Amino acid sequence: MKLAVVVQRYGLDINGGAELHARYVAEQLARRAEVDVLTTCARDYITWRNELPAGESEVNGVRVRRFPVRRERVPERFGRRSHHVFGSVHSIADELAWLASEGPASTALIDCIRRNEAGYAFFIFFSFRYYHAYHGIRAAASRALLVPTAERDGAVGLSIFGPIFRGARALMYNSFEERAMIQAVSGNDAAPHVVVGVGSEVPASTNPDRFRRKYGITTPFVVYVGRIDENKGCKELFSHFERYARAVRGDLSLVLMGNTILPIPDHPRIRHLGFVADEDKFDGIAASEALVMPSYFESLSMVALEAWALGKPVLANGRCDVLQGQCLRSNAGLFYESYEEFLETLALIQSNRRLASAMGRNGRDYFQRHYAWPVVVRKYLDMFDRLRADDERGAGRVPIEPLPGWFARRRAECRAGDIVVRELPSGPSRRAERRR
Amino acid sequence: MPPEFSVRSDSVDVEQIMQQIRARIREKRGVDYTEEELRQLAAVKLEKFLDPTRVRSDLVQHYQKARQPGGASTLEPPPENYAFDDHLVYGSARGASGRLITSLRRLLNPVLKLFINPNPIIQVLHRQSAINAYNREQFDRIADLNYEVMHNLVLELTRLSLEVKNLKMRVESVSGRLDFSDRRARALESVVQYKPGSGPAAELAAAPTQAPAGGQGARREAETAAPGAPIKGEAQRARRRRRRHGRGGAPGQQVPGSGAGGGAAGAAREAADGGAAAPGAGGGAGDSLPFDGAEPGRAEAPSPGTPGLTDQ
Repeated sequence: MKLAVVVQRYGLDINGGAELHARYVAEQLARRAEVDVLTTCARDYITWRNELPAGESEVNGVRVRRFPVRRERVPERFGRRSHHVFGSVHSIADELAWLASEGPASTALIDCIRRNEAGYAFFIFFSFRYYHAYHGIRAAASRALLVPTAERDGAVGLSIFGPIFRGARALMYNSFEERAMIQAVSGNDAAPHVVVGVGSEVPASTNPDRFRRKYGITTPFVVYVGRIDENKGCKELFSHFERYARAVRGDLSLVLMGNTILPIPDHPRIRHLGFVADEDKFDGIAASEALVMPSYFESLSMVALEAWALGKPVLANGRCDVLQGQCLRSNAGLFYESYEEFLETLALIQSNRRLASAMGRNGRDYFQRHYAWPVVVRKYLDMFDRLRADDERGAGRVPIEPLPGWFARRRAECRAGDIVVRELPSGPSRRAERRR
Repeated sequence: MPPEFSVRSDSVDVEQIMQQIRARIREKRGVDYTEEELRQLAAVKLEKFLDPTRVRSDLVQHYQKARQPGGASTLEPPPENYAFDDHLVYGSARGASGRLITSLRRLLNPVLKLFINPNPIIQVLHRQSAINAYNREQFDRIADLNYEVMHNLVLELTRLSLEVKNLKMRVESVSGRLDFSDRRARALESVVQYKPGSGPAAELAAAPTQAPAGGQGARREAETAAPGAPIKGEAQRARRRRRRHGRGGAPGQQVPGSGAGGGAAGAAREAADGGAAAPGAGGGAGDSLPFDGAEPGRAEAPSPGTPGLTDQ
């Protein structure tokens, strides 16, 4: 079986959530099938500048085919169009223009998919919101599996994506909340789907003492791992933690790992380590009291799964449905929606060792049951088998809805994406994975 | 108070824990008051304890009244927001013929666009409508927030005023007790200066008929013990006698240490009585002085001027 993983960027040094997800899946599936990665030459997701050479290469034993991006993103134009399609009534043509300006606009990649459609059993597209996924699925809908990695933002509410969600052969969701959101917005309940998520390359053993020695950290701490960005809720985290440090005596610190685009407060109990190697990351999580995940929008927090895999509880932002749902289903994390809740939950994790270790055990168990690689890979393979069985029976192939005509595309009838999303049902899902 | 979190190793229920945490937060915030209780606290207590010239206890009611249509607010009610979209430009309200007109207009739109492009105007007006709705929503939200903040402020002010009042009363009580203790200490100091069989008390004991217990000598000691304390003459002496009688049993019964057989101890008692009975120490203070074997320091008296307001 020959598979193609199609993703906007790919490489060992590319740590975006969806990109890392795609790499992990490609590497795992490569052990069971022939896998090609089809991607662009871009490394930077802001400009999509062609920085990597076009053509074939190999990354961790997986063949990678890179295609140049035809034009870089113009942030001003993209911002203006985003404002328009997310904020006001607009047309399909406006949305297509928005998609083109978002990029990465690689027509060569789409042409390759179209030309080689028959050469691959399935194409696994990552991130519905980008150019390559939209046009790629339209080019090879009958063999397209979509891993949407959808967050609760205006893009989900755009009209052009409805046919994509309904027309892909199968959807591999990251969480029950993501599935509920996409099904509500597109009505694609009939499309084959599974909530699968992603595993993680968590080491079998960690060395917390080594981490403490290396960074000179002697006090207990909670850790944040990821890009330090206001959009990730870090500003609110800093504010909450500073208030917490004033309110609660003790020496609990906040340790931050990751590149920052946000000024970090000069506080004796906040420590920024910058971008760290995977070994340090895992050792740091293992040395911590808990992982803090302050993000408002996540389709799946891989770092939260990693913390659970290492037996650490998670303190998550409860305004993110996905994180809250995972905490509830796993019984392995607490969540906050206000400073008072942050104070109480963090103080509880810090003071109640039995609770923290019980949640850690639950987290490890949850990870093993749902996100260990054998489980994840099995779900992919089962889906391939199911689709092939459907093909053999001549069932299951629903042609993708064509784009409307020239005039219809220009009719300003599409509602603002933000408003559409705001009206979607929200809240965590408590079913399915909940332990009995 | 919600129960503490008791955790068995494998029975963590995050949902329950979060419910308990939220209950605890609600308890801390004190938002579990009913609306009626809040109103009662915010109005009644203010009337009782706050200075009415400075704080209006019906602040909340005034605020609500001002926000009602036709209330005291000087703002005109806002005009109704409109929903603007392309139907408003191309549409028609003439029933079946209106639909035809709408279709015709849409069909001819490309021709119109040769002269003027209405789409940006439609988008701008639609956006303005959305902005208006947003502003209105924000205004309402902030007004609600103001109301809540004001409500809570009035409530907190009431609580604080009650606390201040209580603290004032306690300060007065403690101040009275301190004053009393001070006087008692000075009286005790004066007592230990005497040795049995010497000094003015012994002289007084030797001449009981000339100077009854609590006479001039004792009075001088009392004056020494409580400088500035006026001697009230016969009335005070009569009161002391009454006290001694009360302590010793029936009137006429001799109290140990008093009278001729009282000696130095009796004189000392007088001295102490005189000191303790000085104004400012309370009328009954001398009854509990520790000369009858009671343990020093246990004597307590109501504070001056605040009868029944101590925290005892």
